[in-house]
Amino acid sequence: MKHAKEPVQGRVLVSGLASGSAMILDETLSFWGGFNPINGEIIDVHHPQYKQRVSQSILCISQSRGSAGTPAAIAETLRNGSGPAAFVLAKADINIAVGVMVANRLYGLNVPVIEISLFQMAQIDNGSNVQVNEDGSITVI
Amino acid sequence: MLDGKLGRAVQFAMETIVAAATIDNAESLIDISFAHIDSCFYSGRAHLDFVHYLLENEATLAVPTWTNNGLISLNDLSIRDPLASTEMNEARQLMEAYVRLGCKPVWTCAPYQLPGRPRFGDHIVGSESNAVSFYNSVIGARTNKYGDFFDVCAAITGRVPYTGLHRDEGRRANMLVTLEAIPEAIKSSDIFYHLLGHLLGRHCSHRVPLVDGLVSTITEDDLKAISAACCSSGSVPLFHATGITPEAPTLDRACHNQVPEQVIEFGLEDLQRARNELGQDSDNPLQGIALGTPHFSYTEFERLVELLQGRDIAPGMVFYLTTSRHVYEQATQQGWIAQLEQCGVKIITDTCTYFSPAVNGLRGKIMTNAAKWAYYAPGMLSVQVVLGSLSECVESAVAGEVQLDSWTVS
Repeated sequence: MKHAKEPVQGRVLVSGLASGSAMILDETLSFWGGFNPINGEIIDVHHPQYKQRVSQSILCISQSRGSAGTPAAIAETLRNGSGPAAFVLAKADINIAVGVMVANRLYGLNVPVIEISLFQMAQIDNGSNVQVNEDGSITVI
Repeated sequence: MLDGKLGRAVQFAMETIVAAATIDNAESLIDISFAHIDSCFYSGRAHLDFVHYLLENEATLAVPTWTNNGLISLNDLSIRDPLASTEMNEARQLMEAYVRLGCKPVWTCAPYQLPGRPRFGDHIVGSESNAVSFYNSVIGARTNKYGDFFDVCAAITGRVPYTGLHRDEGRRANMLVTLEAIPEAIKSSDIFYHLLGHLLGRHCSHRVPLVDGLVSTITEDDLKAISAACCSSGSVPLFHATGITPEAPTLDRACHNQVPEQVIEFGLEDLQRARNELGQDSDNPLQGIALGTPHFSYTEFERLVELLQGRDIAPGMVFYLTTSRHVYEQATQQGWIAQLEQCGVKIITDTCTYFSPAVNGLRGKIMTNAAKWAYYAPGMLSVQVVLGSLSECVESAVAGEVQLDSWTVS
C-alpha cells in the first residue's frame, strides 16, 4: 500500500487464502486466446505486459474481459500450477470466478477471487507483497 | 440442491449458479427449458476432469441438453485422429463423457436447424456465440452468452440468474442501423449478410442494434450469417430487424417506445471495407474451399447441388463442407451427399474446419463463403482467406482459381 497500512476490504467472489507479489495488469486480458495456460504467459502481442508471466502472483485486473473459453483457460492454468495465487478484480467477472471455483473443487486449491474498487486498486503497488484473506481483505505482508 | 442431498456435483453446480447471481446482483433465478453447451469442445485436461467429476458424483441433467461441435468428428476419426495425440484422444473422451452425462449428441453449432428447437419466449442456455445470437434474435428465445462449465451447471440445476437478456428491459433496441444507400439487389445477395454481420460486430458490440431496411425475402440462412459474423468481429448476442425478427414488428416495439441512443448508417463503402477486412485476394494459387460455418443447412445444400450439378472440382483443389449429422442425414436421403462427393466435395460432420490442427490440405489460399471462417482461420490455421458468395466459391472451385463477379470487386 502506498500510504495507509489499513487493509483494503473487498467483496468475496470466491473465498480463499493466498499471498504473493501483486501484479497489476495495465490492460484487460482475454485468458482464452491471449494467454498460455501451460506456462502462465501473456501471449497477446497487443498487451503491454506481453511475454510476462502471471504465475504465483496476486493478479490485479482493473478491467476484465470474459469470453466463453475463459473458465476453461483459468481452470487449466491453475491445474498446471502456472496460474496466479489470487485474482483481484475491479469489476466482477463470472467467467474468471467460475474457472477458479472449478479448479478449487477439482484440484483441492484455495485460490480466492476478490472484487475491489478501482480506487482501492490504485492503492496497491505493483510488485508489493500482499496477502489475500478469506474475508476479502487484502493486507501488506 | 445446495444442501448436498442431491450429491456433490449438483451442490457444486448450484453453488456456481448462486455465485453468478451474486456477482450479477440478480434478485432471483429463472427456470430454463433447454441448454446447448460448449463445454464438450476440448481445450485442455481441465475440461475432461470437470465432466469426470460430474459423472463420478452422479450429476444428472434437468433439461434437454444438446452439444455444440467437438474438436474432432466422431463420425470420421481421420479428420483429427485420436490416436495421433493426447489432445485428440482427450477430445474424444470429452465428447463421449457428455453423452454419458445425458446430452443429446447433435454436435452442431447450428442447433436451430434441427427439429425441436426452442420457441419464442423460452428461457434457455446458449453458449456458442452464433447460436446465442440466432436464438435471441431470430427465434425470440432468451439467453445470455454463457461460458464453459457454467453452461453445464445451468443444465444440471435447470436455472440461471434472472438478468441481462432474460429480462424484457435487456432486450430493448438501443441503437438504430440504417441501410438506405444500399440497393435492394445487393440486399438480396448471400454475401451481403456476412458483411452486415461483420459491421454489426465492429460497431454495435455489447449493444442491441435494430437493423432497419432488410428485404422481406431474407432467409434463415441469411440470418444465420448475420448471427455468426456479428459474434466474431464483436459481441452482439441480440439484434433486431424491423419487420423481420419477432420482437421488432415495428421500430417502436423493438425500442420499447423509447428513442434509440445512437443511429448509424452503413453504405456501400462500409460493405467494401468489411470485405477487405475479411480477406483480400493475392497472386497465390487457390488451394481449397471451406463451406459450412456455421454448419450447412438443408437449403444451402439444395443451392450447392444446383450450382455444382454436372460439374467437377478442379484437380488438386480441396473442397470441405461442414454440417450437422441431422442435416447430413436429410441430404443423404435426397441423394445430395453422393452427388457432391462425386464432384469432389468432402463432407464433415460434428466439427468445424477452422480449428487447429488443420484438416488435410487446408493450407495456403482458401476461399470461404462464411465471414466467421474468414475471421478466425487466418489466426488458427495460418491460411490466407478470400471471402466470396456461395456461387463465387463454386465457380472458383471449378475454375481452379479465384473467380469474383459480384459488386464488391474493387
